Amino acid sequence: MFVGPSVFIMLALMTAPLLASIVLGLHYITFRNLDAPVWVGFQNYEEVLGDPEFWDSLEFTLLFIAVAVPARIVLGLMFALLLDQVTRFRGVFVAAALVPFVMTPVVGTLIFRDMFDRGGPYWYWMQQLFEYRLFMNSTTVPLLIIFHSIWTATPFAMIVLFAGLQTLPQESLEAARVDGASWLKQLWHVAIPHLRSLFVFIGLISIMDAYRVFDSVFVLTSQNPIYDSETIMYYNFQVALTFGRLGKANAMSVLTVLGIFVVLVPFLVMTYREQTEED
Amino acid sequence: MTRTDNPIARFIIYIALALFTLYNILPFTWTIMSSIKLPKDANARVPRFVFSPTGDNYSELWLNMAPEAFAPYGLALILIFFILVVIALSANRLPAPNSIVYMGCIFAGVIVALALPEIVNTAEFYDYLINSVIVTIGTVCVSLSIGALAGYGLARFRHVVSVYILVIALAFRSLPSMALVLPFYYLGQLSGLYDTHILLILCLVATNQPFTIWMLRSFFMEIPREIEEAAMIDGAGRLKSFLSVIVPIMWPGIITTGLFTLLLAYNDFLLARILTQINWTLPVGIAQFTGGEDPGHVTLAAAASVSVTLPILVVIIFFQKYLIRGLASGAVKG
Repeated sequence: MFVGPSVFIMLALMTAPLLASIVLGLHYITFRNLDAPVWVGFQNYEEVLGDPEFWDSLEFTLLFIAVAVPARIVLGLMFALLLDQVTRFRGVFVAAALVPFVMTPVVGTLIFRDMFDRGGPYWYWMQQLFEYRLFMNSTTVPLLIIFHSIWTATPFAMIVLFAGLQTLPQESLEAARVDGASWLKQLWHVAIPHLRSLFVFIGLISIMDAYRVFDSVFVLTSQNPIYDSETIMYYNFQVALTFGRLGKANAMSVLTVLGIFVVLVPFLVMTYREQTEED
Repeated sequence: MTRTDNPIARFIIYIALALFTLYNILPFTWTIMSSIKLPKDANARVPRFVFSPTGDNYSELWLNMAPEAFAPYGLALILIFFILVVIALSANRLPAPNSIVYMGCIFAGVIVALALPEIVNTAEFYDYLINSVIVTIGTVCVSLSIGALAGYGLARFRHVVSVYILVIALAFRSLPSMALVLPFYYLGQLSGLYDTHILLILCLVATNQPFTIWMLRSFFMEIPREIEEAAMIDGAGRLKSFLSVIVPIMWPGIITTGLFTLLLAYNDFLLARILTQINWTLPVGIAQFTGGEDPGHVTLAAAASVSVTLPILVVIIFFQKYLIRGLASGAVKG
């Protein structure tokens, strides 16, 4: 009875669209024949798999995961550990860290771009200190997209890991201290094993996010294809709305969902076990 | 973990944290500065931290009229909001019940906000703000009411089906919204709901629902069963005991979840971009500032950025405690 409305919403508005996605992916649909789709079978899938731009966007998405996920975890842990060392001004440090985290991603990217654009402070300081002139090109724009994602997500990792550090088993720490273990040893033997499930949690969230990166690509490329920085989601959007190939776009999102599920299934099985064991 | 006592190490730690803070807030600070610059200052080759400020960008963004013509209306608006705040603050001394006074003040504020475009010539950006507010509030309300029921049900009735629901919800949480939004776009086009607030709210509620029920469920699990059992022994039904006993003590959890839903709804760009044509929300409206050669462009984009960010920062500063608690509890549940 209680669960009814929520399950209804999810069935009607998530399961149904997902099924619709599968069905639409088997049709040829553009804006001109919205009410009369043409059945084409797996032709859309063949087209997606044979599309070099699709593979390029997948490659960038994987690069994004390979760089951004470890960077978020390492930086988050580093600042969580620093925060753990201090008590004064802790509130100020945390409040400031929330700014990039809560900021609307579109706005955050605009702001970030202005810092690196010609005449922006970062651009100027880089030029003064390293004599490096930054241009927006197909090397720097993808890097900026990744850097922006690290900028927005590090505070999240930091707060999560900091909360985790506060729940360390005190007995183990005490035992380590009595044995004269250094701070580094405490970190390696007590804190990191204890935080392992949080690393998995942050890692999973980051991987899911990587498949969704859209806003920052939209802003930084200004829909300019020469920057070679399309993520899966952004290319999917382009296929749907710029090229008007709704059927092909649906086939592509079905493939993306399958790709995510490969990563996700072990985690889902784990959750299922956890939940049934609790009873 | 052991804290270091070495003064040099402590000094370095504080420096590192201060630099981190600067790295977090410098971009937004720079944007606030740009938003009150003249184009010639904003487009300088060397960044200018000292300049003569101007309000032109904001009036160009929000108004289709000269700022001087708006001045009397602006004063009247400030006066009206001042009076409303005073009434709300003195609710305890008024003869009417508090809730009616608050509702009245909110209602009056809404009327003024909606009537404003009829009186003064506001620019499109004002319409985006109204759209954003409607969509965000609608999403938060619908999402929380059905999510709280579901979270409560899932926390209390342990059954294989509830585990299935939770696991499937988690799988949905990971879906890229593209997989959902294209069918929505298609159905919206066919049904005529395209470009309405209703479609956008429903879509946002649906995509946020898995997250909402997981979070609310974890808060409900912390409440001992005995509390509502006591109410039920006193003769209250399950729904009644839920509404009159559980919900009041759940406020912190509901606020935390609401805050995350608010962020997701307010910040959403992709869904709003695809599901609207002219009824844009703020993030879609601001995306038009992504390119352009006009020298006034940078300052206008900065003013828009500050306008979009300030409301959310005010809300977050006010409710910061709940947001951090939510992040921390999500961490422990991992």
